[in-house]
Amino acid sequence: MSSQFRQVASAAAPSEVTRVTRGASLEASDSGSTPARLPRRSTGRGVLKIAAFFILVGAIAVVLNAAVNFGLKRITVSKFGALNQVMSGQVNAEILISGSSRALSHYDPRILQNLTGRSAYNIGQNASQIDFELVFLKTYLDHAAKKPGLVIQNLDLFSFETTKKSELYDPGLYIPYLDDSNLYQFIQQKEPDAWKCRYLPLYGYAVEDMRFTWVWGLLRCAGVQGPEDYFQGFNPRRATWNADFDSFRAGNLSGVSYRIEPEGVKCLEDLISLCQKNGIQIILVYSPEYYEMQKLERNRKEIMEKFHEVSEQFKVPLWDYSGSPISSQQNYFNNSEHLNGEGAEVFSQDLAQRLVTEFPQWAVRSATADAGSGSSPVHGAKQGEEAMPGPDVFRTAGKTTESEAPR
Amino acid sequence: MLFNSLEFAVFFPVVCCLYFATPHRARLPLLLVASCAFYMAFIPAYILILFVTIAIDYFAGIRIENTEGRARKTWLIVSILSTCMVLFVFKYFDFFTGNFVGLAHLVGWSLPKPVVHIILPIGLSFHTFQSLSYVIEVYYGRQKAEHNFIPYATYVMFFPQLVAGPIERPQNLLHQFYEQHEFDYDRITAGLKRMAWGFFKKLVVADRLALYVNDVYAAPRNFNGLQITLATFFFAYQIYCDFSGYSDIALGAAQVLGFKLMENFNTPYYSRSISEFWHRWHISLSTWFRDYLYIPMGGSRAGLPRWVLAIMVTFTVSGLWHGANWTYVAWGALNGVYLLVGVATKNFRDRFYGVVGLGKDNFARRCVAVGTTFALTLGAWVLFRARNLNDAGYILTHWFSHWNFSTIKTPQFQLKYFPAAIAGLIALEAIQLLQPKFSFAPRFARSPIFLRWAVYMAVVFSVILFGVFRQTQFIYFQF
Repeated sequence: MSSQFRQVASAAAPSEVTRVTRGASLEASDSGSTPARLPRRSTGRGVLKIAAFFILVGAIAVVLNAAVNFGLKRITVSKFGALNQVMSGQVNAEILISGSSRALSHYDPRILQNLTGRSAYNIGQNASQIDFELVFLKTYLDHAAKKPGLVIQNLDLFSFETTKKSELYDPGLYIPYLDDSNLYQFIQQKEPDAWKCRYLPLYGYAVEDMRFTWVWGLLRCAGVQGPEDYFQGFNPRRATWNADFDSFRAGNLSGVSYRIEPEGVKCLEDLISLCQKNGIQIILVYSPEYYEMQKLERNRKEIMEKFHEVSEQFKVPLWDYSGSPISSQQNYFNNSEHLNGEGAEVFSQDLAQRLVTEFPQWAVRSATADAGSGSSPVHGAKQGEEAMPGPDVFRTAGKTTESEAPR
Repeated sequence: MLFNSLEFAVFFPVVCCLYFATPHRARLPLLLVASCAFYMAFIPAYILILFVTIAIDYFAGIRIENTEGRARKTWLIVSILSTCMVLFVFKYFDFFTGNFVGLAHLVGWSLPKPVVHIILPIGLSFHTFQSLSYVIEVYYGRQKAEHNFIPYATYVMFFPQLVAGPIERPQNLLHQFYEQHEFDYDRITAGLKRMAWGFFKKLVVADRLALYVNDVYAAPRNFNGLQITLATFFFAYQIYCDFSGYSDIALGAAQVLGFKLMENFNTPYYSRSISEFWHRWHISLSTWFRDYLYIPMGGSRAGLPRWVLAIMVTFTVSGLWHGANWTYVAWGALNGVYLLVGVATKNFRDRFYGVVGLGKDNFARRCVAVGTTFALTLGAWVLFRARNLNDAGYILTHWFSHWNFSTIKTPQFQLKYFPAAIAGLIALEAIQLLQPKFSFAPRFARSPIFLRWAVYMAVVFSVILFGVFRQTQFIYFQF
């Protein structure tokens, strides 16, 4: 290796050979044997050349960064496409689903849309905590031309836990949108290096992002996009039940518990308040969770009581599907926390039916409406055709209902 | 401060500009201040420990030179003991007291275990050994004692090699601090190219592979034989690219400033024997142990039993130098055994190759020798990387069990990382293998500037875009 580098080091282009000679004369000049002006010019040229190289590196980095951002913002499929629609204010759905990966993969807006006749969109974000969900909902509302009439906020047992420092999931996804004040303020709190991602070209994609997100940006510039796996923001899980839960249970024989952070409680309360201030109805939904996992959660009762407390305090409905028959069927799950595509379909139908049944004012069409006839919320479809139900639609607010499930 | 940090990307150009802009007499203090700033970026208070070591060896060096006989030897011993005491307290105290208490427990004594929770100063073993080499060389009269504190302190603290070597000898480095290093375009660009190569090894290859290795070695029982074998193979390249990459950056940075540090690696995985491997792996440490431990113990001239003892002691201590854990001791001892067995079977192997008609330079024979040496090294790396001897035993006995290609990925290492990792390895090997044969560099240097710069840009941006910057620490920093 050393010899290779010595060769590299000693190798010089013809023009550089001149410089070597000049460099040699530089040392000689210091001893007073050659004129002093020649080496100084050589040094100056060398400095300029090195500076030019690094300036060029910087310029290319700026151009590449701009190209990646440009490409990512124009992707119309996958998680990028879903985010782009939110950030460009194109969604404008009447029913909005918010939450973590469980929201993202449990609620099929197409089914809700078909059964209620209201446009629907899922803004669930993978591995998000309640504080980020609040910020993302704010961001959505800031960008949307029309506010939703209903927000379905999915709850998780970790809903009172907030994002830890440097634990923001998939930061590369949000890099093109760091100029959004809501997102940037939040990300800067959690990622102290966020300013570098915003202002240093390629820093975010090279340092903070481990997923080669920049590749998707450049591919989009070249007209290539990945496959579509998001449907009105909904990302169904195609996988069947795997061994994750078994290994998880084996590693946590004494069970697991989740924190109730005061800041997390406040975030959920703020999220509800945000909706109420904007005249948006909100339903809290604890979507199905595999029943055997529920047995492992040591402080489950305490957390559920806290959900009820918040629900009653703000007089919003809380629909708990922990005891739903869906929660006891392993074939509906991908792992203990996430429904698979089939489970999501069954759950979404159940939820939509319940919405229509308990709040008939909400439904534009009958619950038996044909699948596929709903309109897309994107690009302004279905906007304002039907009067949005007012806040009194949910007159059972605060009343908590639970589905019974065989355990 | 890490080489692969934004801070260093600012620090190094600033230091270089100041260095070449200041007059010669101000450069040494500048380098010392820069080195202090570099070191203090880790844990600022630890600079005091470093200065204590420097001060002791500085004064000891002068006293050794100025005295004769027993007093001279006493100063050497005082210097070695006090320097090693710092190393012992910070690095080995918990290990030795823990083992002593465990041993006492076995014979029925119940002793409380004194635990000292202190963070190991970064690169302590490296600058300790560099300091020791100075006083030993002064003692043997091969190096004059340095009477000026600033050059001596800079010799120990010189930032490119401060935290992970190469472990320099005073004869090679100390005098360079008195030399005037002018701005030399070719030397500087050669240094920058070498740094780029080091960053490629570290960020593109080592840190990508580390994602896989860390997963598997954290809980080997959760992975199948294929994953365990692949993780061990990856670790061999991870540690090579991590450490030799660091060395390349160190040598390149020093070269930019006009200093020439000793080479630390010479394509060690192309070695045909373990003995050759140790001549090509971490050369500055191997030669340190050779000069200051193996040869003083008698080396190969002291008869077979003493030679075997010298080999085993040298390798075991070398293992312990790497870390306060029995896995390192076992790794060192295993390499000693490898070397002894290699020497013992050399004649037999030569005869065997002769019988089957494979001459000394035969390609197939070279391949067998290189392959065998690499496989033996892999086995030893398991001991080096495993968390404990139990895990090492499990890994060594499960290399070939339950290979399942459908579960080749790990939680941190997604399938999409494989192309980048494999491409990095191929690029590394292609350059290492082909460069000496085809000498691309001189031909490349004659090509037009736009072509050369295009290639340099491609290298720079492949490091930026395919590198992993979150796996920040260099493995050898912990030693």
